[in-house]
Amino acid sequence: MTTSAYKMLQVDTKKAVFTLFTGLCKGCGLCTQKCPVKTLDWSETLGVYGTPAVQPKNADDCTGCGMCAMVCPDCAITIERKK
Amino acid sequence: MSKAPNMPKSWREETKPHKFCPGCGHGLVLKALGQAIDELGIQDRVVFGCDIGCSLLSFDFFNVDSVQTHHGRTTPVVTGVKRARPDRICIAYMGDGGGYAIGSQHLVNAAARNEKITVILANNCNYGMTGGQMAPTSLPGMKTETTPYGRDPEVTGYPTQGPEMVSAITREGAYVARGTVANVRQLKNYIKKALQNQVEGNGFSFVEALSGCPTNWSTNAKDTWAFIEETMPKYFKVGELKAPAKKEE
Repeated sequence: MTTSAYKMLQVDTKKAVFTLFTGLCKGCGLCTQKCPVKTLDWSETLGVYGTPAVQPKNADDCTGCGMCAMVCPDCAITIERKK
Repeated sequence: MSKAPNMPKSWREETKPHKFCPGCGHGLVLKALGQAIDELGIQDRVVFGCDIGCSLLSFDFFNVDSVQTHHGRTTPVVTGVKRARPDRICIAYMGDGGGYAIGSQHLVNAAARNEKITVILANNCNYGMTGGQMAPTSLPGMKTETTPYGRDPEVTGYPTQGPEMVSAITREGAYVARGTVANVRQLKNYIKKALQNQVEGNGFSFVEALSGCPTNWSTNAKDTWAFIEETMPKYFKVGELKAPAKKEE
């Protein structure tokens, strides 16, 4: 398994932990459009094709709904809700 | 803190990131398929056949027995596998070019014979791999590589309504539905029902998925979603078209 080879970009938001695997993110931006609170935006970090990855620009806005993880064609996003 | 990407268990992790373009709908359809296989627990019995076109890039996508066949011939190849090994769950995966243009005779005849296989078809309104030429499913007025002034229905006809056609020619026991990648959960349920239909041996199951092609549509993420969610469903109605009657207890 090559799991550990993926670099991670973690953002600790108010309601959840947002994890993006930069080795999987192709920077298509589908998730940024589906974010219901429009907080997901382009990141300084680059994805697997050298294009910008994504991250929540305002960590407090993220509700941890998991919509971005659901519409990601590459399974690059994992949302872990805080209890 | 999670360390592993949340992929379906049936996905083959060492081949990821997969070979599809950024934003391609195939990834979402195959994600729904992977989740459906996981939920039914049939990974050890699945035979996955993929077509030529963009869909062939899924040849190493799953940790299941996979076969890649000639253009449109996935349906008969998978039918043969099913006849030789009826205990296998056979899935034919194709695009609209393979299913409705080059391989339409196979799809029609397999449906008419009510073969006990599952066909999953990703419809993105053009031929993606060869550079976005007009496909049978291109919408009227849609600009493609071979219709630079927009598709003229007078000359090239109207878009193929695949699930409507299949539901008209199949017998009782068939399952026909059209999902969309804009609603992955619904699509997963359709695919799950289609696989369940094959497990129960009722008959032919067919799921078309409306899918996106940002590379050839030349759209950004916003316009891609607008095309999938607003323009495409005007011609291609999402929903279940045919389901086997519930068995009486």
